[in-house]
Amino acid sequence: MRSEQEVNTAIERYSDTIKRLCMIHLKNYADTEDIFQTVFLKYVLSSVCFENQEHEKAWFIRVTINACRDLIKSFFRSRTVSMDEIINLPDKLPPDNRQILEAILSLPPKYKDIVYLHYYEGYTAVQIGKILKKNVNTVYTLLTRSRQMLKEKLGDIDYE
Amino acid sequence: MSNNIKETFNKIHAEEELKIKTKAFLARKTDNYKKRRVSFKYQTIAITACLFLFILSAGGLKLYFTPTSVISIDINPSVELGINMFDRIISVKGYNDDGNELADLVDVKYTNYKYGLEQLVNSQTVTQCLSNNGALSITVAGSNQKQCNDILSNAKNCTSGQQNAYCHMANYSQIESAHQCGLSVGKYMAYLELKALDSSITPEEISGMTMREIRDRINSISPEDTYYQDEYCNQNEHGHTNGHGHGHGY
Repeated sequence: MRSEQEVNTAIERYSDTIKRLCMIHLKNYADTEDIFQTVFLKYVLSSVCFENQEHEKAWFIRVTINACRDLIKSFFRSRTVSMDEIINLPDKLPPDNRQILEAILSLPPKYKDIVYLHYYEGYTAVQIGKILKKNVNTVYTLLTRSRQMLKEKLGDIDYE
Repeated sequence: MSNNIKETFNKIHAEEELKIKTKAFLARKTDNYKKRRVSFKYQTIAITACLFLFILSAGGLKLYFTPTSVISIDINPSVELGINMFDRIISVKGYNDDGNELADLVDVKYTNYKYGLEQLVNSQTVTQCLSNNGALSITVAGSNQKQCNDILSNAKNCTSGQQNAYCHMANYSQIESAHQCGLSVGKYMAYLELKALDSSITPEEISGMTMREIRDRINSISPEDTYYQDEYCNQNEHGHTNGHGHGHGY
């Protein structure tokens, strides 16, 4: 089991990443809370030795994405609709950023992770393939399609 | 656009409340990060329990796969069934080519011996031999006398409609001697009987003979034709032949 200090450092270091991933997958605060608890509890109990910080970050990204998918697929959730199921966007977001975020959130689930990991985290297709356990060519295809979809939604802007 | 996406996501942060709630949850779940050490006492109990289970299962397997009785079925095919204490057939061994063929043909391993015996006695090979005036010999031997008596009684019931079927009991010690000669217990008993009348007979010769041939040879040499008189399966009510007229202990 990891120490409290180790866990607190990880919470400070990776909470924003987890929050962003939760935001692109989930629609309410309660679910985000669930994912935070699930991911960090897994971290506390995990005996994985991380080679470096990048390795640790990739672990958090993969575990968060899997936890979000599991929550979405869960039996209870698939048969109920939460009362507060609203898009949980930050209130103080400027209109430009809000438009971009809404465009990303409107993408089919398989494209959202790719867009976030590539455009925000700066991972290459090979690295994304390793994190998401997907074929590199599939990642390239998903990146190309997501670029096209964002272009249609946001107009002709440089996506490279 | 990459910059715009970066700028957008940079504005999203986890709320302090969320971090505090998560920390509180983890502290609760881990009992304030106290490592739970399993006490030496519980470790010892767990190890002992595992060891006990292992010994029990190993012992159970050994018991299951240890034969307590054998049933030798000889006519022309010579087949020997190994029976465990749970009345299950744990081995089917042919002692000649016909026996091997019959053992392969009839799938009776791990079934109850009553079922196995019925399957073998009613098999096409055995019924054909019987219809050609073959002599069917069923010999039971084992370390568990009660089980042997039960098996013998069932063998008699199973062959009650056959005129040329003989059921008898052999001594437990004779199983090993029979196997050393490469014979089934049933044939070995017939060999001993014939050897008492004709010392030139060898186990190899016996191995190649049908039970009918052995019986006819014994009858031709024997001064009195008493062989198995009281051992016809459908006539004998006593069950075993220890110490009958021939003095071979079966």
